[in-house]
Amino acid sequence: MDAAISIDQVTKRFGAVQAVSDVSLTVRSGEIMGFLGTNGAGKTTTIKMLLGFFAPDAGRVRIFGADPVNAAARSRIGFMPETAYYYRYLNLRELLRFYGGLCGLSAASIRARTEQLIPQVGLADAGDRLLAHYSKGMLQRAGIAQALLHDPDLLILDEPLTGLDPLARIQFRDLILALRDQGKTIFFSSHELSEAELICDRVAILKQGRLVWLGSCGDIAGDGGQNLERIFLNLLAPGTPEAPP
Amino acid sequence: MTPCCRQLAALCALSLRELYRRKDVWVVFTLGLLILAPLAAIKPYGIGGGSRHLFEIAQLLIWISAAVIAISVAGRQFPPEFEHRTIYPLLAKPVSRTTLLAGKFLGAWVASVSATGCFYLAYGLFAGAKMGIWFPAVFCQAFALHVGFLTLVTALSLLGSFCFTPTANLTVCGVVVGGMFAIGQRLPEMTAGQPAVIRALAKLIYVAAPHVEFFDLRRRVVHEWGPVGWQVVAAVLLYAVVYSGACLLLAGWIFRRRKC
Repeated sequence: MDAAISIDQVTKRFGAVQAVSDVSLTVRSGEIMGFLGTNGAGKTTTIKMLLGFFAPDAGRVRIFGADPVNAAARSRIGFMPETAYYYRYLNLRELLRFYGGLCGLSAASIRARTEQLIPQVGLADAGDRLLAHYSKGMLQRAGIAQALLHDPDLLILDEPLTGLDPLARIQFRDLILALRDQGKTIFFSSHELSEAELICDRVAILKQGRLVWLGSCGDIAGDGGQNLERIFLNLLAPGTPEAPP
Repeated sequence: MTPCCRQLAALCALSLRELYRRKDVWVVFTLGLLILAPLAAIKPYGIGGGSRHLFEIAQLLIWISAAVIAISVAGRQFPPEFEHRTIYPLLAKPVSRTTLLAGKFLGAWVASVSATGCFYLAYGLFAGAKMGIWFPAVFCQAFALHVGFLTLVTALSLLGSFCFTPTANLTVCGVVVGGMFAIGQRLPEMTAGQPAVIRALAKLIYVAAPHVEFFDLRRRVVHEWGPVGWQVVAAVLLYAVVYSGACLLLAGWIFRRRKC
């Protein structure tokens, strides 16, 4: 299969802080990859490099073979940020119209996608309400809608489960699996280990900017009663020596 | 419509939507009209000619309101995006930072020009009703130059928003615009007797600072002195375009280098 994401020996430093160190990772088209790690492990920095917000100091990042720093390469990416802040003075329809325009979609296709997505993310009754009056969970759903608006091949989701109630989590899981069945690639960072284990085909774990574990969820299940939580704790507990991926 | 035009239109529409959904702009707008309307109605000291003094006040108010709207709207284009992190989904879309900056500039420009256009329309109607002269050529020139002024101030404020905090940007732009209106033209004469270092500094400021006083035709409009040559208007507008272009290039350079 083609690589949707290719991260090759990527390093990023901010002043004295080594945010990401020599990370290499390939995400195949059509798979769900979980990107796990404690706070400050370098997940968000890696995601920002995948989105072309800045280039790595060393190494190479490619999305479907293209450099994401170029705007055209980002047309195949849908991104949902960790903190779902959107323009409070817009309603959801207006927000989607705005983002649709930014994606270069025609007015007719924006209208069609909007009417399709709003019920899909469970906001059918709230499409005309100002985002200022949305709850955190509703904003997360709005975030998913804007990420899916231009029908991207790759979805990058930064902590997508934050603020979702149990019912919304189940709906989100179903949505992600349905998108995978449609051939989409999904790359998401999370602290929710049990959810990651349920959804992901493969999981990568970062520790202090280094990739310390990479494996499939199938391997975990067959590994002597291990689960992702135990692996995560073993790898990331203070004082644990770094394991090679 | 090309994708780039759609992107610019989306960014422009967002700025306009924000402008009319924010209450502070409506306050400026209502105040402006409330001040203009009585000016058109009263005859000060019972003298018809006294109206010119009131028109001068009305013009001054239009200039102050337009400058406040242009500086505040342009200065608010980027800082809230960074502060509220709405910049992340924005930058993740297939839109270049140059297009983003151009769209934000266009949005702020259209917002301030349309607000100023309403002020001018109201002034033109009130003045026409009182003096019996409807939208003379000098009035149209004054509006054209005011648009040039807004172009320059919008670009300046947008650049300032990348260099200063929003409050500092508002203050710096206000001081620069107000200062240049007050003493910009006379800066070399004022420092003629000063030591060479101060004269050189004044010269530098004179060359580098935006000469907003070039755009001011208030007295010609109020006293009906007749229009200036159109080639003068064109030269001043060209100055606005070149100065704004330089500000936007610098802003684009800072924006492209900024890590989000």
